Amino acid sequence: MDQTNIESLCHKLKSQLDCTFDLYTEIRNDDTFVISPDQLKVVVAMINEHFNGIHLSTITAQQREANAEVIEVMYSFFQGVGFSLMISLPTKAPEVTSIVSIIPGADFYEREVAEMFGVKFTGRRETPPLLLPDDWDQAPPFIRNEVNND
Amino acid sequence: MTKISIPIGPQHPLLKEPLSMKVDISGERVLGGSLRLGYVHRGIERLAQKRNYVQNVHLIERICGICSHIHTTTYCHGVESLLKVEVPMRAYYLRALMCELERIHSHLLWLGILAKHVGLDTIFMHVWHDRELALDIMEEITGGRVLHGANQIGGVRFELDEAQVAMIRAGVEKLHTQVEGVLDVIENEPALIARTRGVAPVSADMIKKYCVVGPIARASGVDVDMRRDNPIPPYDQMEFSVVTLPDGDALARTLVRVYETRESILLCERILRDIPDGPVSTRVPRKVPAGEVIVRSEAPRGELFYYLRSDGTDKPARLKIRTPTLAALCLLPEQMSAIQVADIPVVLAGVDLCVACADR
Repeated sequence: MDQTNIESLCHKLKSQLDCTFDLYTEIRNDDTFVISPDQLKVVVAMINEHFNGIHLSTITAQQREANAEVIEVMYSFFQGVGFSLMISLPTKAPEVTSIVSIIPGADFYEREVAEMFGVKFTGRRETPPLLLPDDWDQAPPFIRNEVNND
Repeated sequence: MTKISIPIGPQHPLLKEPLSMKVDISGERVLGGSLRLGYVHRGIERLAQKRNYVQNVHLIERICGICSHIHTTTYCHGVESLLKVEVPMRAYYLRALMCELERIHSHLLWLGILAKHVGLDTIFMHVWHDRELALDIMEEITGGRVLHGANQIGGVRFELDEAQVAMIRAGVEKLHTQVEGVLDVIENEPALIARTRGVAPVSADMIKKYCVVGPIARASGVDVDMRRDNPIPPYDQMEFSVVTLPDGDALARTLVRVYETRESILLCERILRDIPDGPVSTRVPRKVPAGEVIVRSEAPRGELFYYLRSDGTDKPARLKIRTPTLAALCLLPEQMSAIQVADIPVVLAGVDLCVACADR
């Protein structure tokens, strides 16, 4: 896939879903598009269908210093070139639909983001912790708050 | 027949690193399994936010004891991209030389473990003897067999003199001969073929669904290699073959890695032939301009993913690392279904587990 294909995919998604699909230009190497969290699953499903199976490299989450009220979650794909989808979730109650039913390989990535950032992925089975101890009772390690703000 | 759950790990003779598995069996049949990681989780991504970019080179090298160099190569390339510095081409070639030596030693290490698991101790000992050649070369040129300290932001920390180049050429040539011999044995050894052919086959469709990368994907016919598809210099200037096989079984996973070892040896020879003269590093500022970058590289086990965000200080604001083993582990419970109990070691070996990488 080349740049033209990404552009045609964007056009298709915009016209069929009537969704915001804004280009986030800060990331070098990957084209990154900001979408609404409630459109994530349907967008991923369409991308997956468009390419007859898309490779999900990983899911990255972060909380920026400038805006601690929001957790950004980024889904990075690779199909000849890299591109990413970015959503923003409220830090107080971060919740988004799981994409495991579309891409089973997202399982461990979602679990890691859930543990490290406290994001709740709905529509998937409950699983035990993947990385943190079973008796971890503190705030998610990556969340900046009074406990972790060092 | 009654279903029984067998715990394997976190400490188990089958495992070289701590990992907890529960395998459900019925008689001799494996029905499925589940995984628990985290026994060597060190919180490296969080630790990296508290250290400056230079310190992080050494922190990141300690993610893994097998593929330490590709981690620092990928990280340094990300920082250099944010700094927009021009790294000398000689440094890129020297990095690639180390990457290929690392791939050779990683694949040979893995092959030895597989041979041990299927009861072929002679192959295990021969292969690990040959692996020493790669380790010796890396020790000669960097001073380290496991942690090399070869990379720095802006280039590499070592230079090769003529005597070292001659030593590497001789070592690589010997490796080539040895690996051809190993390949001859593996392609024709009835016991190894009987233990691996048709075991835990994975289709290309499953590979795509589970986003598996590297030799496991290539053994199922998925033609993907970040050295070619998303190259970091000097791979964009080098010709090499990406090995794929269609079968997707344990034998294909074995052969792919041995063929790749041979290809890496050829790449080492090409690097030594084509390496340009010039400096091996360039000076860089300690503070990195604000920005974000994604870097993908090909580790011995497949696509390695780094996301790096700088806020303009001398410490990264966010560093995300996704190692290839984490992708492969997702598939493991699926692979475990519908195999025989005796095949568990072969399937586990086929993943080429690097738990330290997966846990970070």
